[in-house]
Amino acid sequence: MIYLVLFWEYFKVGLFTIGGGYAMLPLVTQIVTKHNWLTEQQLIDFIGVAESTPGPFAINLATFVGNTVGSATSLGVFGGILGSLIATFAVVLPSLVIIIVVTLLFDKFRSNRYVRGALKGIRPVVVGLILSAVFTVAAKVILPEFDFKHIRADGVSQFNWISLIIICVFAPLSQIRIQGKKIHPICLILLSAVIGIVLFGAFRLQQ
Amino acid sequence: MKQNKQQRNNDRRVSLWQLFWTLFKTGLFTFGGGYAMISILEEELVSKKKWMTSQDMLDMLVIAESTPGVIAVNTATSVGFRMRGVLGAVVATIGVVLPSFVIITALSYFIQAFADNLWYKAAFTGVQACVTILVVNAFVKMFRQLERGWFSALLTVAAFDIALFTDFNVIFLILIGGIFGILYVVIADAVIAKRNKSLPLEQSEIIEEQPRDNDERTDGSSHNGGDR
Repeated sequence: MIYLVLFWEYFKVGLFTIGGGYAMLPLVTQIVTKHNWLTEQQLIDFIGVAESTPGPFAINLATFVGNTVGSATSLGVFGGILGSLIATFAVVLPSLVIIIVVTLLFDKFRSNRYVRGALKGIRPVVVGLILSAVFTVAAKVILPEFDFKHIRADGVSQFNWISLIIICVFAPLSQIRIQGKKIHPICLILLSAVIGIVLFGAFRLQQ
Repeated sequence: MKQNKQQRNNDRRVSLWQLFWTLFKTGLFTFGGGYAMISILEEELVSKKKWMTSQDMLDMLVIAESTPGVIAVNTATSVGFRMRGVLGAVVATIGVVLPSFVIITALSYFIQAFADNLWYKAAFTGVQACVTILVVNAFVKMFRQLERGWFSALLTVAAFDIALFTDFNVIFLILIGGIFGILYVVIADAVIAKRNKSLPLEQSEIIEEQPRDNDERTDGSSHNGGDR
């Protein structure tokens, strides 16, 4: 039964990857090619879509893989929906159980000296990880060819100056207070989509 | 807005529907990895609804980051569980996942047309720039929650460098951070114990209290002097 295989494989993905959606990618690639669910090219094509559509990257990917696997069965469209439901559920299930248990333990032991000590060390690490995400995301936007892990001279060959301008406009915009309230991040995202269409659209039409 | 406020005043308990709706919005406007959602969650949960503090938020991120699974889902589950127990965890998780599910299922039938659409690409390039700022803001907010001092600063910089420039596994970074934290506490305890050992207990107490004694004495003497 292909749905059981799908469930089991995605359950393992959810259980064994630490560090978020992008850390799942190698395991997903391996599974998908092992079962011949998708070709590697199909997967690479979809990664671009999964990044640019709303929702966490890994969930988008799981939904897509599940849909493709399910659609290939005799159930057709219904099978596709069933497949994406199963893959998403499977990847989320370990989180659900683990987080509940860890949160309970955390609340119970948070006053313990050593747990507090460990947290004192882990909190800065997590903040450091967020800072590294800042640089990764910024580089992806401004210098699409640049890779911090393999720095090469041609990494700066492409420079996206329109993105840089948008960043420079949104940095102060996100701090402005109107009647004591900051602009909601969701409004900022919607606004940035409009600006993107206007600027890049105009730029592309000109070319 | 007004209704929300009234509800909060009447009943501190968050309704399951509110929980679902908040996480649904968050899921809908999360792009890429989980970090972009921190800003939205901060705004919704800490600034607007005041369901938790920024410190709680950082601790939730610590849990989300150091356990298996998608960070966005881990965070959502954590929020839901804190607010409304197991049922809350389930509802929050469904909320954050549902937008992905609906959008990707709908899109999967014409993915190629979508991937090649220039207008969508243009919009998304704008969104990506905005997301960069949101991640920066999330970093600033979370950085402010750290204890001040060389220990935090050093670990933040080290973790940042290693995560950015190497392929070093994140979970080992977190483990090492935890070990350093425990070592810090153990060493701090040892130092304090040693200091207390080298001085007899009464003496150390006297030293601590000496300034106050002196004050009283000078007060007293000046007072006496005035009397004379």
